Amino acid sequence: MKILTCPLNGPRNISEFTYGGEFKLMPDPARCSDVEWADYVFNSDNLAGVVTEWWLHNASSYWFLAERHTVSDQVLRTFDPNEIFDRRVEFTPAANPEIAG
Amino acid sequence: MNSLTRLPAPMGLLIDRERPLRFVFDGQACQGFAGDSIASALLGSGRWLLSRSFKYHRPRGPLSLAGQDANTLVQLPDEPNVLADMEAARDGQVVEGQNFNGSLEHDRDAYLGKFSRFMPVGFYYRSFYKPKGMWKVWEPLIRKKAGLGVLDLGFKPQYHDKAYLFVDVAVIGGGPAGLRAALDAATAGAKVLLIEQQPVLGGSLTYARFDIAGTRASHLRQALLDAVEAHPNIQVLLQATCNGWFTDNYLPVIQHTRLYKVRATRCLVTAGAFDQPVVFRNNDLPGIMLTSAAQRLMKLYAVKPGQRAVVLTGHDDGYLAALDLQDQGVAVAALVDMRAAPADAALASELKRRDIPLHLGSTVYEALHDKGLRHVSGVDIRPITGQGKVGTQGLRLACDLLCMSAGYMPVYQLLCQAGGKLAYDVVRDAFSLSNLPVGLAIAGSVNGRHHLDNVLADATRAAAEAVAALGLPAPALTAFGPEAKVNFPWPIFPHPKGKDFVDFDEDLQVRDIVNATRSGYRDVQLVKRFSTVGMGPSQGRHSALPTARLVAQATGRSISETGVTTARPPFQAEKLAHVAGRAFDPYRQTPMHRRHVAAGAKMMPAGIWQRPAYYGKPDERERCMQEEARHVREKVGLIDVSTLGGLDVRGPDAAELLERLYTFGFAKLAIGRTRYALMTNEHGVVIDDGVCARLSEQHFYVTATTSGVDRIYQQMLKWNAQWRLDVDITNVTAALAAVNLAGPLSRQVLATVCEGVDLSAEAFPYLGVRLGKVAGIAARILRVGFVGELGYEVHVPARHAERLWDALMQAGAGLGIRPFGVEAQRLLRLEKGHVIISQDTDGMTHPAEIDMQWAIGRKKPFFVGKRSIEILEAQPLKRKLVGFTLPKGSPQPLEGHLVLDGPDISGNVTSCEYSQTLGQIIGLAYAGAHQATPGMHIPIRVEGGVMVNAKVVQLPFHDPDNLRQER
Amino acid sequence: MTNLNTQAFLSNGPQTCALTDLTDLPRVGFRGSDSAGYLQAHGYHLPSLPNQALRQDDGGWVVRLSASEYLLLGSLSDQGARVAAQEAEWVQGAQRNYLLPRQDSHAWLQVSGQHCSAVMAKLCGVDLRAEAFPVGAVAQTSAARINVIVVNVASEGVPRLQILFDRPSLAYFREAMLDAMAEFDGRLVG
Repeated sequence: MKILTCPLNGPRNISEFTYGGEFKLMPDPARCSDVEWADYVFNSDNLAGVVTEWWLHNASSYWFLAERHTVSDQVLRTFDPNEIFDRRVEFTPAANPEIAG
Repeated sequence: MNSLTRLPAPMGLLIDRERPLRFVFDGQACQGFAGDSIASALLGSGRWLLSRSFKYHRPRGPLSLAGQDANTLVQLPDEPNVLADMEAARDGQVVEGQNFNGSLEHDRDAYLGKFSRFMPVGFYYRSFYKPKGMWKVWEPLIRKKAGLGVLDLGFKPQYHDKAYLFVDVAVIGGGPAGLRAALDAATAGAKVLLIEQQPVLGGSLTYARFDIAGTRASHLRQALLDAVEAHPNIQVLLQATCNGWFTDNYLPVIQHTRLYKVRATRCLVTAGAFDQPVVFRNNDLPGIMLTSAAQRLMKLYAVKPGQRAVVLTGHDDGYLAALDLQDQGVAVAALVDMRAAPADAALASELKRRDIPLHLGSTVYEALHDKGLRHVSGVDIRPITGQGKVGTQGLRLACDLLCMSAGYMPVYQLLCQAGGKLAYDVVRDAFSLSNLPVGLAIAGSVNGRHHLDNVLADATRAAAEAVAALGLPAPALTAFGPEAKVNFPWPIFPHPKGKDFVDFDEDLQVRDIVNATRSGYRDVQLVKRFSTVGMGPSQGRHSALPTARLVAQATGRSISETGVTTARPPFQAEKLAHVAGRAFDPYRQTPMHRRHVAAGAKMMPAGIWQRPAYYGKPDERERCMQEEARHVREKVGLIDVSTLGGLDVRGPDAAELLERLYTFGFAKLAIGRTRYALMTNEHGVVIDDGVCARLSEQHFYVTATTSGVDRIYQQMLKWNAQWRLDVDITNVTAALAAVNLAGPLSRQVLATVCEGVDLSAEAFPYLGVRLGKVAGIAARILRVGFVGELGYEVHVPARHAERLWDALMQAGAGLGIRPFGVEAQRLLRLEKGHVIISQDTDGMTHPAEIDMQWAIGRKKPFFVGKRSIEILEAQPLKRKLVGFTLPKGSPQPLEGHLVLDGPDISGNVTSCEYSQTLGQIIGLAYAGAHQATPGMHIPIRVEGGVMVNAKVVQLPFHDPDNLRQER
Repeated sequence: MTNLNTQAFLSNGPQTCALTDLTDLPRVGFRGSDSAGYLQAHGYHLPSLPNQALRQDDGGWVVRLSASEYLLLGSLSDQGARVAAQEAEWVQGAQRNYLLPRQDSHAWLQVSGQHCSAVMAKLCGVDLRAEAFPVGAVAQTSAARINVIVVNVASEGVPRLQILFDRPSLAYFREAMLDAMAEFDGRLVG
C-alpha cells in the first residue's frame, strides 16, 4: 500500500486519505461564460505529468495539496493550502447580471 | 520396504526420531516422525504415488519437495489442495489423494493418457464450446475429471487474523544470502525481519552440497545461525510466506492463521532460485525428481530416495549431489552431464575415484517405466547432437531414481510484481532482474550469484546499501570471485511420442506449446491463455523458462523478447480466510441504544448506525409501523434522532459561510429562528438538506442528513480552506443526542420537564429554536414539522441522553406516549411529501425537479451551486418528482420501479408505502415533466411486469395547509 | 533473535495487557487562534508542535491536534474536576476560542501493559512501538476502520496508550480491542 506524507500527520497509509479531486481555480461565476463554467465543473485535464490534487486526511479532517506525477505515481510534494490561499476570498455580484442559459 | 528405515544422523535435520507418528493415506496406515511432511513420511514409507495428473491422470510423485509443484496436492478432511511436501504430518491424520476415479493406486481414468492425441492444446476451447450452450453440459463432467479435491461444506471456521509488523529491513528468504544480509544489517543497527518458508533457517545450506568434502554447508549454517540467534535486532518468521510485494514495501506475510502486513523501510529479497527440470519423454514419472528434492529428502528427512540413481545435470551441482547420494548408500549408475565437461575438473576426478560412470554431452532421452507408469525403472541415455537433438544410439540403464537439474530460475515473482524486469542473459543462459524500485534489492542466487562465496559477498553488498539508506554505518564489502555458468542453454529434448512435459500441473507437452504458437498465439501471454501453461498451482515455477525458450524458438525471437508471463500476487495459493480473517465492520449506536433494546425495538441498519425500525416482534413490521404512525398523529410519540448530522458554525463569518454553502439566505435569519437549508454541489445537484438554527449572532447550529454529514463537513472544510473565512466548523453529530417529540400532545409532555422556555404557540412558534433546560439538561429545542405534527426536536449533550429519554417517557406516561421507529417516521414524512435526500434524489436532481426553487436565495452574489442552477433553470425541465396515489389493494410499487411514458422510461419510484391515515397507497416518483401535473396518471411497472396507473396528486398528501404542525 | 510464532501467540500468557474505559472522565477541546493564549492563561502547559501531548502537573494531559486545536484530558487524581470546571466556566466571547464538546463526541479507552503496541498493530497501520511512538506522541489515524486519536501516556515504565474515538462507536471498538487483546489474555479492568 502506498504511503502518502501528510503535512500535518506525516507518512501514512494511503487508505487514511480521501482524494479530493484535481486542484483548479474557480472562474468568476458571475462573469465567466457558460462554456467556461461547464469546463470548470465537468472537465478534468487528466494530464500525464505533474498534477496538483486535493487530499483529505480523514482522521484529522485536514485538507492539503499534493503534487503528484500521474505516470510514475510519485508524490513530489505535499503542502498546506494556505501556500496558495493566503487571504479571504470575496464574491461580488455581476455588475450586469446576464446569464446566457 | 520397512516403513521406518531412515538414514542415520546427521541426515534428517527436521525429524525427531524419538517421536514416531501414524496416519492414514489413501486408506493405508503410514508411519513417520514428528517433523516429517506428509510427503516425506510417505516416501519414508516407500509410498511414491501421491497424486494423479490433472488431464491424463498419470501417476505423480514429489518433484521439488519444497512446495513448488502441484504433484503433492492432497486432500485433508477439512481442506482440499494441501501441499503434502509443506504440510506437517500429524499423528492420527487422515489424508486422501485427489483427482482419481476409484482409487489413487488404480485410477479408472488413467486410460485418458492414451487419448492424449485426441486432447490437443486448446482442447477445451475447441471441443466443448460449440454448439452454443454445450459448455454447460460438459463443464460438470470435465470439472470432475480434472478436479482438485473437494470442499467440506460442514467445516468449522477457524480464527484468522491480521497484524502489522514494522521493521527497518525485511529480508525475504532465510538461506545463506538472507542470513548474511540480516546479520550485516542488524549489526549496523537496523531492526531486521527475516522471513523463511521452511521450519528451519539455512535454505540451501540445509540440503545442498557445496564442496567435495561435504562439510562446508553445515559449518557455515551453524556459524550464521549462532550469530543470528544471538542478535537482538533480528526477528524471524518461520514457515511464513511473503505472498506479494506492494508499493512502498507493504508485504503480506502469511504464517499459520495470521496475515502479517509487514511495512519495511527497505526490503531485501534473498529468495533464491528454483531448480529447473529437464524436458524429455516421461520426465514426470514417480521416482524422477529435481536434484535438490533428492538432497532435501536425505538431509531434511533422512529418507533414502532410491537404491540406484541416475543424475542428469546441466551444472556442477549435479556432481555434488551424486556424491551425496553415494555417501548415503545409493548406487549412482551414471552422472549424465549435458555439457561437454564440468566447470570444476576436480569433480570429474572425484567421480572417477568413486567409480561413478560419467556421460558427458549426453542426456536422458526417455525415462523407462514399469507397466503401470508407477515408477521410473530406467533411462535411455543419448548423446546430444544439436539443440534439442540426440543421437540414434543410446545406452539403457536400470534405476529407481532419476535426479534432474537443468539450471536455476531466479524466484522472480515478487520482484516482477514490484516492476522488476526479467532479461535473458545469453552469456549465462539465465534470466536476470533489473529495474527494481527504490527500497527493494536482491542478493544471492536470485541475483545470479551461485558460488557460495559470491552469495555471501552479494548479501553483504545489498545489506550495506540498505543500511546506508537508513543512515547507518555500512559493513565492509568483500570481493567477488569467478562465477561458473549454472544453466544449460537448451535442456529440452522433444520425443516423437510426446509425454515430454513442460508443465506438470497442466499436463502440457512440448508439442502443446509449439502448436499454440502455430495456432497464431505468438505472444507468451496468449500462449499461456490458450494452452493454460503456467496457470496451475505451481504458476510457472518449472514451466516458465522452457516455455520462454520454446516460444522464442518457434517464433524466431530472442528469449528476452519472448519473456515470461506477468507475475501477480499471491505468490502461493492463499486461503480466503487469510484475506477475510478478522474483517472490521464498524457500527454506531446512539447513546439511547440500551433504551431501545429494553423497549423491544427491532433494530435496523441505517448506514453505519443501528436504529430502531419499530418496537415489536420481528414479524410485525406492518402492524407496528402503522400503529406507531397513528399514535403520533393522534397522541404523542418519541423518536431517537441522534443519528441526525449536526454542525456548529461559529465566528464572525458564520452567516457568510452558510450563505455560500447553502442555497437559502441566512444572513438575515433572526436569532431564535430556524430555516430550511438545502445544499447543492457545483453541478447544481442537491446533495444534502437540514435545518439551520441561529442560536446567536455568530453561532449557527445546522443539521445534516445522517448519511451525508461527514461528507458535508469535509466539503465545508475544503471550501473554507480556500475562502479563509473567519469561522469555526465543528461536527457535533456524536456530541449531541436528540429526540423528536411529536404529536398533538407533545407540548403538554414537554411542558412538564422543560424549564426556562415559554412553550406557548405565540412565544415559541413553528420554526423557532430555544435554548433551555429539559429535565435539568441544557438543551437546544427546535420546533420542526418533519412528521407533520406539532413537534419538538430536543438536542442535548450525549452524556445525558438516557436521562433525557427517561424523563420524556416518564413525563408522557400519563398521556400515553410511545416510542416510534424509523419505519413509522418514514411513513409520516411521506404523508407530508417530505423529500429525503439520496432516497428521493439522485446524482442528477436539481432543485427545480423537486419543487425546491422556493429554497433558493436569488439575491446572493454566490452560493456553491448558483451558476449551474441558473444554467439548468434556463433549460426546459425534463422530469419532476411527483406525489402519486393508488387505491388500497392495488399492487404496491417498490422503490426503483419504473415510470413509463409510452415505450420509454421517464422516471422511477423513490418512496412508496400504504398510509392508514389516508387509506391509500402513496408514493413519490420521478415522471416526465409533461406527466407531472396533478390529476394526470402515470403508468408504473411493478413486480412481475404488472402495470399500474397511479394518479399524480398535489403534495403534501396529508394536511396540505400544515395546520397540524404549526399549531 | 526473536522467533515470531503465531501459534505461540495464541496460547495464554500472563496478563500483560488491560483495557480501561475512561469515557466517564472529563475532557474538553478548544480550537481557534486565541485558544493557546486562553489555555496558557488558565495554567495549562501546551505542546510546542501539533500531534504532541504534554503531561500536566496534575497528571492530566494536553493534546495538541493541529496548529490551533487542543484537547484537555482530565486527570484521574481529581476525577477530571479541573477540566470539567474549564468546560463549565467557558463562555463564548469575541475571542477566537471555540469550545469542542469532546466528552460528548468522543469515547476514551486506555490499553496498558507490555503488549499494548502489539495489540494496536492488529488494528492500526501506524507504528506505535515505543521506539517509533514515544511518550507524548500523538497519532490521528485509523484503527479497526474508524478514526482514532492515539496518545502515548506511558509512565513509570508501564506502557499506556489512550485512544479517543467517536462515542457511538464505543461498543464496536471495545469489542474489537478485546478481540485483539485475547491472545495476550487481555481484559477489561476498572
